[in-house]
Order: sequence, then C-alpha cells, then structure tokens
Amino acid sequence: MIELQERAVSSAALAAELEGIGGRLMMLFAHELPDGGRELCAIVRAAGGAVRVRAPLGGGSYPAVTARVPAAHWFEREIHDLWGVVPEGHPRPEPLVRHGPEQREVTLPTDGDARGEHRGAERLSGPGVFVFPYGPIRSGVFEAAQFLVQTGGEDVAYCAQRLYFKRRGAERRICEVPLELAVLVAERVSGTSSVAHALAFSHALEALSGTEVPERARAIRRILAELERLYNHLEVTVRECEDASLTVAQAQFAALKERLHRLAGAVVGNRFLRGAVVPGGVRLDLDGAASGLIGDTLREWEADYRRTLAVLLRTDSFLDRLVSAGPLSERDALDFACVGPVARGSGIDLDTRRDFPYDGYGPFAVARHADGDAMARMEVRFQEIDTSLELIRQARGSLAPGPLRNPLRALAGDGALGAAESARGETLYWLEPDGPDRLRFCKLRAASFVNYGIFNRVFDSQVLTDFAFIEHSLGLSPAGCDA
Amino acid sequence: MIRWFFRGVSQRRLTTRYPRGPEPAPEGFRARALLEPGAVSGERARELAAVCLPGALAVDEHGALTLEDTRCIGCGLCAGELAMDRGYELARRGRGGAALPLPFRHSLHIRHVDTGSDGAVEQEIAALLNPYYDMHRLGLFFTASPRHADALLVTGPVTAPMEPALRRAYEAMPEPRVVIAAGTDACSGGIWTGPEVRGGVDRVLAVDVYIPGDPPSPIALLHGLLLAAGRVAEAAPASAGRERPMLAAAARGGAG
Repeated sequence: MIELQERAVSSAALAAELEGIGGRLMMLFAHELPDGGRELCAIVRAAGGAVRVRAPLGGGSYPAVTARVPAAHWFEREIHDLWGVVPEGHPRPEPLVRHGPEQREVTLPTDGDARGEHRGAERLSGPGVFVFPYGPIRSGVFEAAQFLVQTGGEDVAYCAQRLYFKRRGAERRICEVPLELAVLVAERVSGTSSVAHALAFSHALEALSGTEVPERARAIRRILAELERLYNHLEVTVRECEDASLTVAQAQFAALKERLHRLAGAVVGNRFLRGAVVPGGVRLDLDGAASGLIGDTLREWEADYRRTLAVLLRTDSFLDRLVSAGPLSERDALDFACVGPVARGSGIDLDTRRDFPYDGYGPFAVARHADGDAMARMEVRFQEIDTSLELIRQARGSLAPGPLRNPLRALAGDGALGAAESARGETLYWLEPDGPDRLRFCKLRAASFVNYGIFNRVFDSQVLTDFAFIEHSLGLSPAGCDA
Repeated sequence: MIRWFFRGVSQRRLTTRYPRGPEPAPEGFRARALLEPGAVSGERARELAAVCLPGALAVDEHGALTLEDTRCIGCGLCAGELAMDRGYELARRGRGGAALPLPFRHSLHIRHVDTGSDGAVEQEIAALLNPYYDMHRLGLFFTASPRHADALLVTGPVTAPMEPALRRAYEAMPEPRVVIAAGTDACSGGIWTGPEVRGGVDRVLAVDVYIPGDPPSPIALLHGLLLAAGRVAEAAPASAGRERPMLAAAARGGAG
C-alpha cells in the first residue's frame, strides 16, 4: 500500500509547488469531487513515498504546470481535452486525446518554448524537405499509431507522435461495470501487460478496502508478473532482430517467446496470463504440478535462451544498428519522468517493485545502464530477464500452503493509488470509491503514456533507416497509452 | 553469420503439422465457454448472465441461458457451471454462412488493420511467422499495401478515429476480397461498449470470417485464415457433451 502525504494549494500555485517538491511527476489529472467541484490532483514521487497535491479548479483555466515541470506536458493536454480546462501558457496546447478533423491534416506542431515539449527540435526548410504521415496503418503487423516524420530523404529532421487512435474508454468502463468484474477490463487495457494492469488495479482496490492478500497468492502473483516480463522483453528482442534482418535470430527468439506463451496457456489457461489475478488474491492456484512445469520449462528455456543470446551479442550487424541509436539523455529521462527500461537505460535508478514494494518482492539489484541508447535499453532488458528467472525461482520456493484470496472488504476513503511494474515500467491506477462496492472515478496511467512523450526526442539527429530500431527499443504499447 | 547457421540447424523441427494433423491444446485452456441449449435456466441462469462481462451469456424469454460465442472472452467465471472449450477451430463464416466470394486456394495475401485492440492479438498474429506455425509454408503472407491484399485481417472493436482508416484500407483493396475479424473485440466489441467504439467490425464492413478468442491463439488464427482461403471447412459446433473433433474436415490444398 502506497502512503501518500497530502498537500493542498491553489491551482495558481500548483506549478511552483510541484517544482518545489522536485520529485518525479507520476500523475496529473483533473477530476470532479463528490460535491460537484473540480480539482487538479498531482501525484509526485518523494523521499520515502509519494505526495498528493490537490488544487481546486475555480474557473476554466489555470497556469500551466508544464512551463516549470516538463513531465506535465501530455497530462495537461489530456486535461484540456477531457475537461475543457485551459492550461494557460502550455507550449503546445493541441489536442492529444481528441481526434477532430484538424488531426487528419499533415501539419507539424508549432514550436514550444525552451523547457517545453519540443526543445531543441531542428527544423529544415527548402526544396526536397517534406513531411510524411506514417500510420495509423503501417507496414507489417503493428498497433495503430501515427508518426509525422519530417525529412529531406535520410536525416529525420523532426518527428511527432500522434496517439489515441485506440481509445476504448477503459477508465469509464472500469467504473460502470460491477466491481468484481472490473479487473477483467484492467487486464485488457494493454493486453500484453495483463498481469501488471490487473495487479496495479487490485493494489488500489486492496488499499481502499484494507484487504490483505494471502501469502500464497502473493507468491503466485510474483511468478505470473515475472513470466509476463520475460515474454514482453523477448518480444522487443524479436522485433529488433527482425529490424536487423537477422532471420535466424528472429526465428530463434520468436520460438523462445512462443514456449513462454505455451507455458502460460498450460498453467493459467490463457496465453497472456489473463483470469488469474483478482483483487484480494488470485483466482487460480499453481499446484505442485503447475509449479513443477514452470520450473522444468524455464530450466530448459534458460539454457536455450543463453546460447541464443550469446550468439546475438557477438553479431556485429545487430550491435552496429543499436549502439548509439536513439539516444535519450539522463536529463530528458528525468525531465519527462520516463519509467521502466527506457529510464533505466538512461541511468535512472527506479523500479516500482523496489520503490513501492508489493506482493512480497524482496530486495533485488535494479538493472541500469548509463549509455541511454537503444543497446542500453536492450542490455537492461537482458539483465532483467536474469532477475526475473531468479525471482520466479524464489517465488516457487515460497509457495506455502494457504488460502488463495481474501474477500474484498467494503471500500472506504477518498481514493487510493495502486502501482505495479510492467515490462514497460510503472503502471498506475488511481481509484475513488462511491459507497462500499462501487467506483466513482478511475484514472490509469500506463508506462507507455509517459514513455511515448519522449518519442520525438530520441529522434534528434537520427536517420530514417534507424526508425524501427529506435521505436522498438522503447517497447511501447499504444493500447496502454490510449486506454 | 556462420554461428547463426549452426544455431539454426542444431534444432529439431518445431513446426506444427496443422492442418494436416491435429495440434493438441493444453488441458485447462480456456478458448471459450460451451453451453448445451436449455441446459441452464431459472435463477442459476440469471446469476451466470450477471457475471458475464461482455454479455455472451444472456437469459432468453423462456428463462433459459443462451451463449453468443463471438462475445465470450474465456474469463472462466462461469466455468463452475459451464464447460470450457479448449479447441481452436473456432472460426466461422459470416454473411449468413454463404459461400465466400472466391476461394484463394494457393495463396492468400493479408493486410492487417488494428482498430483498437489490446495489443495481444497483434503478437499472436506475428507469432504465425515463428517456426512453430510458419504460415509461409501454407502460402499465407502479410502484405504492406492493401492494394496487394486479398484479405483484410481486422483486430479491435473499431474505435471512432480508426473507422475512416479501416474504410479506406478496404476500399483500396482489389476484388475479390475477404474481411476477417480476429479476436472477440473485433467479432462483437467484446467488453467494450460506449461512444468510443463501434462495437465490432461488422458494424462497419461485411465480415466474411469471424475468429473469436481473447486473444485467439495462433493456431485458431491459422484455422480462420485457411477458412477464409477456402481450404478448410468450418468445424462442427462444439458442445459440452462431446469432445470437439480435432479436425472437422481434411485439409484441402496447401503446400503443407
């Protein structure tokens, strides 16, 4: 359970307050209070936990936080789109969530100020320079997202990302369905991070109701969460091998990934581990046979994985494409509050499993890399695969007999934060109850929402042929971002 | 590169024999729920319908439980009462079961369009290229341009911003063409309802083949693609009382 320190300021003083706290901005959203008033709510990382800063919204506007805290850039555009509240002085007050007719035009966004979203973007002009919209339907099997790429042929002069083609209204759906079924919606926000989303959602509900999770359920949750991390990290590896035209490597890593999905299908009944995590515990047991199957499969799997990885890390045509591609400075990663392997690949020391411990995660070494390029992000993932295998071994060893779930008690309080570390990074759910068994408000923030915010930055002075390498090294989920 | 050569040839054959032979699914796999018509009624039927998030289970005017299997997400919340189907030949034809416009017996070129999926079904589609399924052996290929495509493989419940893109991709395709809805949310909208989504591909385009599943497994996708190509027949409806036949019809054609 995440303890939040509470602060209240005026909306005019919010930017200064957040800058003063100085921690990573985890969430910023507007919501309606039970009495009908509106307020802004920010959740910021601070020493020993997090701070919730509330600022009542009197009128239709407030001074933008982005001017002082760049990480607020997309949050404030979202607030503008969803609530019609204007963040005055936002460097790029264009629609983010809303798709109007103006979104179909191929025009680049206007420049922001020095600390704004588009700091340092070089603009070209002249004959031969053009902008092409890449997406939302792209070559290959990809999720819907669009990138506006300005180029003179090879150098990417400028790249702007356009998301929210996939918005399904998950936050609203979570509140309108019966409480005991809402976790099924959370599992389907980002279908490849089903366990992490189910965990973050469940953690928030467990905090609101004061429900304890039994020991055995915690161990099962850890096993499933780490299994999910393994196949997501492999997915990134498969994509990078495909981009490097290493067809044998692609086939080998794809086969390794398939073995994990088959294991998931055999132990949980769903290849993406859905239907296991529920608020209060887990719905499915991993009995001795299932735990043994996981152990045996992963032992064999690990040996094959290590042999294949060893060859990959000696393949120059792979390393050449990733080293120095898509650099993200530590400064940008901090300024834009990046999370997950993207942040850790730029030297940021963060991991939800350690910073906001949950479900019995003990201490472990958080993987980090200082280089900040596509290769650094891959190396972080390879280290995390080792950690995950070790964490699964430990969790299997601590599968003590006992109950699988405790009934969820009545919801109370004005709101709670739930967090979990998906393969892509910190996943957050803020939930507010309406009586003992209903939700009034849900705000979710997937890791990809913040990591997409720096997409244009990592293309600074890059070339078009590296586009796929850089994009895939970020390991983003449009479904999670758009919700 | 020589290291990759040895790495590649050092492994045994992984590729499934499907559709020439069956592909076993693991015990306990939840592809979808199974319901004998009229098997459940009364109070129990109402309770089960209440825990079915996508509304696959409903109570008809006689008080009996009904199952719309293209809505089922296989969550298993009804599994205490209903059997779960672990089969994979789940795809079936749309347009009232009419014949497809033209069989694509030798090869099928596929353009995928995501209209708001959760992202898992894209990975299952991409898995068709892995050595276990290797769809190229069956003459199935992905193509970049809809102008080269025979089949439109659509995932997701069709969000408002993706509807015009979906229509444009369809209109760019040459005749004859087939539309395949892959995944429960593409088949019916699944758990998603509201102003953001249209609620299934068939609200926008006539769908020729439905492949339910949340997400459909690669082998279920393979069956659906071969069905669209006119190379396998629809499986007989499964029922809780008997084991689903692994192969409803012998595979015809294909490079196998």
